[in-house]
Amino acid sequence: MLPEAEELLVLVAAGLVFAFVFAPTAIPRRSLVIQGGAGVVAGAAIAVVPTFDLALLVLLGLGTVDAAMGGLRTFAVRMRAPVLAVGIFALALVFLRVEGPDVLARFAAVGLVAGLAAAVGLLPYIHPFEADEATPASPLVWTVFVGPLLAAVVVARAQSFIPVDAGEAFAAMLIGIGLLNMAWGAIAAWLTASKEAAWRYSFLADWGLVLCGFGLTLLDGRRAAMLILFSIVTCRLPLYLVAREPVEKRSPTEGPLNLLVAAALAGSAPFVGFAARVLLLRGATQLFWPLALVIAIAMLLWLPGSFRLGRSMGLPRGRQALGVAIVLAVNVVAGLYPLPLLTVAGL
Amino acid sequence: MIEAIAAAVTWLGASLIVLADGRRGLALGVALATLGLSVVVWQDAGPVPALLLAAGGGLAAGGRAVAGPAGWGLMPPGSTPRIVLSVGAGLLALWIALGITSGPGGALRFAVLTLVGMAVARVLSTESAEVQLTAAAVVAIAVAAAAGLDANAPAVWPSAAAAFIAAGTGWLRLGVPRAA
Repeated sequence: MLPEAEELLVLVAAGLVFAFVFAPTAIPRRSLVIQGGAGVVAGAAIAVVPTFDLALLVLLGLGTVDAAMGGLRTFAVRMRAPVLAVGIFALALVFLRVEGPDVLARFAAVGLVAGLAAAVGLLPYIHPFEADEATPASPLVWTVFVGPLLAAVVVARAQSFIPVDAGEAFAAMLIGIGLLNMAWGAIAAWLTASKEAAWRYSFLADWGLVLCGFGLTLLDGRRAAMLILFSIVTCRLPLYLVAREPVEKRSPTEGPLNLLVAAALAGSAPFVGFAARVLLLRGATQLFWPLALVIAIAMLLWLPGSFRLGRSMGLPRGRQALGVAIVLAVNVVAGLYPLPLLTVAGL
Repeated sequence: MIEAIAAAVTWLGASLIVLADGRRGLALGVALATLGLSVVVWQDAGPVPALLLAAGGGLAAGGRAVAGPAGWGLMPPGSTPRIVLSVGAGLLALWIALGITSGPGGALRFAVLTLVGMAVARVLSTESAEVQLTAAAVVAIAVAAAAGLDANAPAVWPSAAAAFIAAGTGWLRLGVPRAA
């Protein structure tokens, strides 16, 4: 298994345990364990299996099981994205394996990025939202539990079987889709009417940073992607779960805690998101400095959405307050000293 | 010659899945698609992967034959787009498999492209869970068959996994949707 995948597997498992312990009582624990656990197990299987064909079949199996478990969205709606992802990945593999003109390899590169976007639920294949749907039945399983491992596997496999010319197309597609998700996710998290939708768009914005990091094809880019994935699993996910308290129990507040949460979500110093953003900007500057400028401008878009999400936390009490404190402490430590995380991931 | 006929049978099966809404039509579609693809895989990757895929597809067809909307449901009113999809996808796959790409395994390329393209299009265009599960079974079988395009990739394990998934989707029974 890839060292990155091993670390991500531990992180998503820890994220699931955290969710089980600290999530509000409104989130059904049984569904959380079953659907979140299925996502973690499938993610592990995707990382462990020796061929990409088997990884696709695992993805298809998980998609079917997840759709069959039910929720507010119909089976048909839940089934579409995974099958589309597997289909696009399969066509990309066919184009990589056959003899033909060079452009086929570029189509394959586009297919690998499109398949990844469809599986995780990123633009332009965003999974439909249902604001009232329980968290375990929501597309979050794909965004948080399966997505990080799948992304690590797809990027590693692509480096081994995509030719150099098509590799450039692969990197360009990752950066392009990444920028789209950064801009769209951050602006939507700021302006959308629904608090639930705002949180989910914020995950998309973070995933945009991850794709940009992978697309830079430099060590700094991969390090940044790894830290953002860490931030998604250990910061945004737990804070989102705490914010899922029913509306009648929570009113927006603007205390110091909300400001800290907003800073963590926006990637301010000293949280881990800041280290990731510095690495990303440094990598982008090495590659093509105007890209760094665009990414820096896009990063500013995190601020208004993050303040909004921070306010929506209200004032957590009891177990949730302890959970928020742990989350903030872990992210400060990782932000001040991220080297162990990167070393374990082989970066 | 056998490969060409088998590839045509695969396209016929995929077309049935696109054109049918009833369980008999869907089951026959899976059976034909699996039969054709298994023959093609036998020629390219040997008997073990072919038999595994045939078993998985057969179980999926059997499961679909006993559950789902009754009857054949072939080409209900408003099926013109589906007919266009069947013919158009077949021609496009044929052009890519024989005109754009080259080398041995043309029948396998055509069969895989046809099945993946038409099954995914069917999943995206229907609201019926039974139709989607049928199409997903076919996608699983096609993904495993695509491993045969790489001489270095093992075909047995993907075929075994695809057979398991295809059989599972064929026999999966869905309960009433519940609000969480």
